[in-house]
Amino acid sequence: MSGEGPVGNGPILSVDHLTVTAKGKTLLDDISLDFASNSLTAVVGPSGCGKTTLVRSLNRMTELTPGLRVKGAVNYLGQNIYDRSVNPVLVRRRIGMVFQRPTVFPNSIYENAAFGLRLVHEEEGKIDIAVRHALTRAGLWDEVKDDLERPALSLSGGQQQRLCIARALAVRPRVLLLDEPTSALDPGSTQRLEETMEHLKEEMVLVLVTHNVGQAARVSDRVAFLHTGHLVEMGETEEILERPKDPLTQQFITGRFP
Amino acid sequence: MHPVAEVVLDASAPPSEPGGRQPLPSPSSPRNGGSPSAPGSLLAWLRYTALVPALIPAGIIVAIVWTITYASRLTSLPGFFSFNWAPTSSWGIGVFVVGSFMTAVPALFFSMLVGLGLAVASTTYLPRLAASLLDPFVDLLAGIPSVIYGIWGYVVIGPYFGLTLNPWLSAHLQFLPWFHATKAAPINTLGLGLPLAIFVLTLMALPITTLLIRDSLRAVPRELWESGLALGATRWEVLRRVAFPYSRRGIMSAAFLGFGRAFGETVAVAMLIGSTAQIPPSFYGTGYTMAAAMFELIDSAYTSAQWLSVLTEMAIVLLAISLLVNVAGRRLVISLSTTEVAGV
Ligand SMILES: Nc1ncnc2c1ncn2[C@@H]1O[C@H](COP(=O)(O)OP(=O)(O)OP(=O)(O)O)[C@@H](O)[C@H]1O
Ligand SMILES: [Mg+2]
Repeated sequence: MSGEGPVGNGPILSVDHLTVTAKGKTLLDDISLDFASNSLTAVVGPSGCGKTTLVRSLNRMTELTPGLRVKGAVNYLGQNIYDRSVNPVLVRRRIGMVFQRPTVFPNSIYENAAFGLRLVHEEEGKIDIAVRHALTRAGLWDEVKDDLERPALSLSGGQQQRLCIARALAVRPRVLLLDEPTSALDPGSTQRLEETMEHLKEEMVLVLVTHNVGQAARVSDRVAFLHTGHLVEMGETEEILERPKDPLTQQFITGRFP
Repeated sequence: MHPVAEVVLDASAPPSEPGGRQPLPSPSSPRNGGSPSAPGSLLAWLRYTALVPALIPAGIIVAIVWTITYASRLTSLPGFFSFNWAPTSSWGIGVFVVGSFMTAVPALFFSMLVGLGLAVASTTYLPRLAASLLDPFVDLLAGIPSVIYGIWGYVVIGPYFGLTLNPWLSAHLQFLPWFHATKAAPINTLGLGLPLAIFVLTLMALPITTLLIRDSLRAVPRELWESGLALGATRWEVLRRVAFPYSRRGIMSAAFLGFGRAFGETVAVAMLIGSTAQIPPSFYGTGYTMAAAMFELIDSAYTSAQWLSVLTEMAIVLLAISLLVNVAGRRLVISLSTTEVAGV
């Protein structure tokens, strides 16, 4: 993982014939797709279709689940992250992740945001700047700037989730994976988080898993529709939501799904 | 009523107000087993029975302290709070108190160290199969009677300490005065003394510390682990920066309970410490602990009023220190938990 700029005009992140199996069961079946730069791709589909499995395989989090086997390639800047020579720790510094529930660490707001920078022994001054920048981009700065030493667990759920985004942003990833980040939040917090995502997508690749078609319509540029481990179709958000080609997609977006 | 039907009814009941306090169940509520016609006063009275579990240990402690204090008041003991143990003229228990700490503190230190290592290995690094083989093995140590540790230490480990380990340590730790055996403070070939007692106490405290640390590390949510790893941390970094802080209360509890175990242990220490009423002249020397002294000197209890007093008062000191450490430990653990949620 050396080069930083995009290689040629290729996408920053692409998936090439990805198949994931667990004990003989196929969770993802031969998926190929590109994630365009400076845009937000929504991954939608019914529960259990493999959305989480797909985003977890994009930064090798799949390795943390015993028994999962990954075949095919995930290319980041032209390099397959599953190559033997690639260190997963470095992959995850470039391809960040936010989970369904807020997962703040049991220390202060500041230390949460600084976590990834402390790992690389960044200078204190630079950490201060990066923490502020990340909290601002995550839309949390104004609410917490007066007391960054507060325990992060004392924040509301929505604030905690934005702190998790700030924590992921502080290490300046090129890609941010969000797995149903609003599913545990109230409508107000959800709206704030959606605004945050709209800002972020201007400077990085965002992949958002959502079961909410409305959310995909509001924030995404492109939609990938998964069903039972297959990529049914993918395209511009308007195209997919208004003129789906596949009857399965049509059923899903109109809410007529089992 | 059929149990399933009851559950279904409960599920359909309106949820209690969010944020509101849980209303006390009314005396006639079928849920706590009373019939609607039962008199409320009886049920109110019955509620106090919930205090019984709390009263039992409190009562036991009060009874023990009171009776021991009574027994110890029989006579006065010259030099009780001194280091001079020369019965009938001076009854200083200082050497026993120091001996108890000199064995329990290092044993606790080592068993915390090894316990952390075992717990981390089993929860974080070892493959599942290996962990499932290691865990019951450690837990099994807790089921071995003290006297077995004692006899094993005396017969098997002692001679090794006396002939090999202690001379080796003494030769290599020459630069540390007290850790260097001299003619005045020689190594005994049986190996009896501090190192042997500490070693066996470490093993005896190990299952407690390992088990508690392991459980508190297991309680770290999987998502926290994954978040740390997703930020590009190694397993060690997540352990150090997330899992340990998250489980620090459990780790502290492990230390306090482990201390209690090592501090009060009697039979094994009595068999291995060398039973000499002195502060060990060197690390390899023999000594005594309060627990071992009470155990071994109990035969003298009825030879004179002073003997009876000194043994019972030693018991009070041992009990007081144990309870004090326990209470202090609880306080510390509670204070850690309140700082964690401060500001809520
Ligand atoms: N480790 C595993 N072993 C076996 N099966 C698994 C494993 N992980 C996931 N699965 C299965 O793979 C399928 C896809 O799971 P995944 O979590 O990716 O779905 P999802 O689309 O994220 O669903 P949801 O919308 O409910 O979050 C499910 O049927 C699930 O039961
Ligand atoms: Mg999911």
